[in-house]
Amino acid sequence: MANGEIVAGFLAPHPPHLVYGENPPQNEPKSEGGWEPLRWAYERARESLDQLQPDVLLVHSPHWITQVGHHFLGVRHLSGKSVDPIFPNLFRYTFELEVDVELAEACCEKAAQRGLTAMMMRNPKFRVDYGTITTLHMIRPQWDIPIVGISANNSPYYLTTEEGLDEMDTLGKATREAIEATGRRAVLLASNTLCHWHFHEEPDTPEDMSREHPQSYDGYKWDMRMIELLRQGKTAEVFRLLPQFIDEAFAEVKSGAFTWMFAAMGYPELPGELHGYGTVIGTGNAVMEWNLVKAGLAGAAVPPSAAGGRESYAGAMR
Amino acid sequence: MTAVSAFLVPGSPLHLLRPDNPPWRPIVAGFERAARALAMSRPDAVLLYSTQWIAVLDALWQARPRLTGAHVDENWHDLGDMAFDIRVDTDLAEACVNAVKAAGISSKSVDYDQFPIDSGTIVATRLLDPDSRFPLVIAANNLYHDAATTMRMAEIATATARVQNKKVAVVGVGGLSGTVFREPIAIAEDRVAAEKDDSWNRRILRLLEKGETGRLDAEVDDYAREARVDMGFKHLAWIRGAIGGRFFGARVHGYGPAHGAGAAVIEFRL
Repeated sequence: MANGEIVAGFLAPHPPHLVYGENPPQNEPKSEGGWEPLRWAYERARESLDQLQPDVLLVHSPHWITQVGHHFLGVRHLSGKSVDPIFPNLFRYTFELEVDVELAEACCEKAAQRGLTAMMMRNPKFRVDYGTITTLHMIRPQWDIPIVGISANNSPYYLTTEEGLDEMDTLGKATREAIEATGRRAVLLASNTLCHWHFHEEPDTPEDMSREHPQSYDGYKWDMRMIELLRQGKTAEVFRLLPQFIDEAFAEVKSGAFTWMFAAMGYPELPGELHGYGTVIGTGNAVMEWNLVKAGLAGAAVPPSAAGGRESYAGAMR
Repeated sequence: MTAVSAFLVPGSPLHLLRPDNPPWRPIVAGFERAARALAMSRPDAVLLYSTQWIAVLDALWQARPRLTGAHVDENWHDLGDMAFDIRVDTDLAEACVNAVKAAGISSKSVDYDQFPIDSGTIVATRLLDPDSRFPLVIAANNLYHDAATTMRMAEIATATARVQNKKVAVVGVGGLSGTVFREPIAIAEDRVAAEKDDSWNRRILRLLEKGETGRLDAEVDDYAREARVDMGFKHLAWIRGAIGGRFFGARVHGYGPAHGAGAAVIEFRL
């Protein structure tokens, strides 16, 4: 199988507050709302994803931390209840998901061929991290598209930021090769917050938006600077500034998802579409899209009637 | 004294999941000796702090009366899962929350079905108290708390136990040096990855054995930085806070590697 392609990448942060604010049936705690601008941003992203008709969603999450290698979910069906260890009052979510194991294995193999330590996670009792689940719920609450879950190796923290992000760059390139080799029509999800300075105490009513604001003005200014560059498609400049941004805004993109995604897409100098920005307990969160179909860098979805075998991957998994 | 025993133990799943691997035997055997010492001290409760239970907003305390399940480690999932059955002294835990809060440290209890219990807590409880005889008070490692805050919390926890007329064992769960092998190794050949780390670990263990708290205080920050000690050695701060800072020496029941990192089972003489 060949000719797979990445059709889009999304910056898709994972504050569990967004799920809490939405009140889906899967989540036990109930809210009065909150964080609407970010949730509306995800609504726009959902519409775009719907039109892209991907076979698979790949998500790189900073809350599945691994010390030895880059790991890939490798169990076809995973289910359970995910309780956020930081915000258990907000996120106790019952999930079921299907993994595209064939693609995950290809990613793992390609990563190993490029010299990375890469491993498959085969334990059916594994607890999927809340970052993966939150990002997936917010982008596709129907849970009807298979996924590939990728861990965040701690190399940017254990090594230098630059050395760690070099690994994520390699991982991204390996991911692209795997997608192409397996014929998938893939969407990439970088589950990262921008500025990560946050409050140290939670308001009594977490969804009281009169209490929500950026924790750091300097961090907010950094976010705006980076978003504006991304909106202008100045990708090279963004990555030139990235280490400084990480240091000065304590940015969560340090964990690698953002670099992984852009490396997989080939660092296109393509204006990103900002679906929305907002803070969550003071952190900066942007939902952004790089639509490679609209940019003419990937093919449009084939209508089902003309798809023949092409539509089979997602359908076969469902 | 309210604290009747105190232990520093590693929280790596490797020693629980592959106890027969030769390089890990000293730690497993050390746990066996520490478990006997814990049982002999007959505590009413165990005050446990694990570097692997990460908090960022508040000081979190486990307050669910019973925690059961099977946990799969995020990194060592290929070695199997770890069943656990933990009893919590909820009266003492809630009292600790209130007392720590009263001292100005924002504090909360957690009582949720299927709350993710960290590997370190499970490893320590399984190997120190395999029959789940002693109820626990479990405190999280808030990443923004320094050693002084951690000591203060432990001090308050012990004082709170005293108010409830309870004898406590104190357990700090965490590693020593933090240099690890970043690629798979033949586990039968595991060792402390860096000679400098090994040297630092042994030097600190000697100070602990001799109870040389003055020199320990003088060197612990350098040790934490140069040997990349797990979470800045805050698990030692927990123990020292709980036992009033002083101890009269320690017995190192076991020392060895955990995929390159340093690990030791230490019993403090109170």
